Amino acid sequence: MSSPRTIRFTLNGEPVSATIMPHETLVDVLQHRFDLRGARESCGQGLCGCCTVHVDGKPVSGCLFLAVFADGARVDTVEGLARGDALDPVQEAFIEAGAFQCGFCTPGFVMMVKQLLKEHPEPTDEEVRHYLTGNLCRCSAYPEILDAVKLASARQAEAARRA
Amino acid sequence: MTGFEIVEPESLEEAFRLLDPEDPAVRPIGGGTALMLMMKAQIYKPERLVSLRRLDGRFSGIDIAADGSGFRIGAMTTFSMLEHSPAIRRHLPVIAQTMKTLANVRVRNVASVGGNLAHADPHLDLPPVWVALGARAVVVGPRGERTIPVEAIFEGYYETSLANDELIAELEVPVRAGWDALYVKVTTRAAHDWPALGLAVSAELEGRRIRDLRLVLSAAVDKPTRLAAAEAVLRGAEIGPATLRAAGEAAVAETEIESDSRGSAAYKQHLLRVHLGRAIEALAAKRV
Repeated sequence: MSSPRTIRFTLNGEPVSATIMPHETLVDVLQHRFDLRGARESCGQGLCGCCTVHVDGKPVSGCLFLAVFADGARVDTVEGLARGDALDPVQEAFIEAGAFQCGFCTPGFVMMVKQLLKEHPEPTDEEVRHYLTGNLCRCSAYPEILDAVKLASARQAEAARRA
Repeated sequence: MTGFEIVEPESLEEAFRLLDPEDPAVRPIGGGTALMLMMKAQIYKPERLVSLRRLDGRFSGIDIAADGSGFRIGAMTTFSMLEHSPAIRRHLPVIAQTMKTLANVRVRNVASVGGNLAHADPHLDLPPVWVALGARAVVVGPRGERTIPVEAIFEGYYETSLANDELIAELEVPVRAGWDALYVKVTTRAAHDWPALGLAVSAELEGRRIRDLRLVLSAAVDKPTRLAAAEAVLRGAEIGPATLRAAGEAAVAETEIESDSRGSAAYKQHLLRVHLGRAIEALAAKRV
């Protein structure tokens, strides 16, 4: 029998709970229960990256991730990146490099790049391309996205030097 | 997706109680990436999914034997854990090589080793690699436990030899000194497409002589398949154009390749001839 179930998790640093059905995906729950619209379902098959969120610090496709499996986890979305009016350096780099046109795929790219720069603080072009193979930009802003990653990486390195 | 129930047993006994050998609408779920696609497409409509994520012990972890002779890999190990394990990268570099073109970071963060095998889609990349490496699966069920070669899991397109209440608990993967391995993914439309042909090769070479090898074909056939006749041509042979051509012909003769959206049978047979030779040459080049 399919019946509702209450899950508790940490969402962008805040403890939250939601009563959901077992077949609901994480991206649906974020959109409809928490009004977080950054991660959005596009291809629905884990191929395009528009629904990228972090679960316990790792990017996942929110459209292929059952929300019940987020019970007890830490979930981070693009909405949690900015500090007040101050954008995250990756978000700033995307704006400065003009790394989008319509912006639909941008939250997913930004969340992937956050993790990419954790794993490869100064990535090569090859590492960036490989890491982002699973993110599609239908406006084809790929060259500018590559620029944005390089810019964010350089800023991060500079900030680390100054710190 | 249609509604279903999810249960998360914490012990094997509880898991066996929740599984049902007679009911195909009750199924275990690992990472769930493949199952989610089937449920979203309404190809599979479960009534109960038995999550294995709270089972610990043997279902998790990557351990190398003290003498370095092999790995034990828990079935709930994610592809990312394998990909980033320093011990796996060092002793089984073919795994990291295969991950380079396997889905994407997000899917690899969630998909599990055991679920990937139980799914039994012949287009998947890792199963032929496990077979080429000579890996064995430890299968547990209410009637006991058995260890079988990975190739014995597959019976055909999405068909396995596992009972509905049996679970893949772990893999045993030998590390053989002097052996090297390679996986070739051949896609015919886009680089990130499902393969028209997968070819996993592990071999023990001495210069350009092949002492021993295991050749496994996937994607073009209904399950990962050892190419025994092609292996027989190559075993003990010196690598050269005539031998590789003969091995390619043997491989084509011993397999039943069907036409599908990724290519005609004749085209895929040609791919097999060409890529088998190239894979062996690439392995030989790696060792020089």
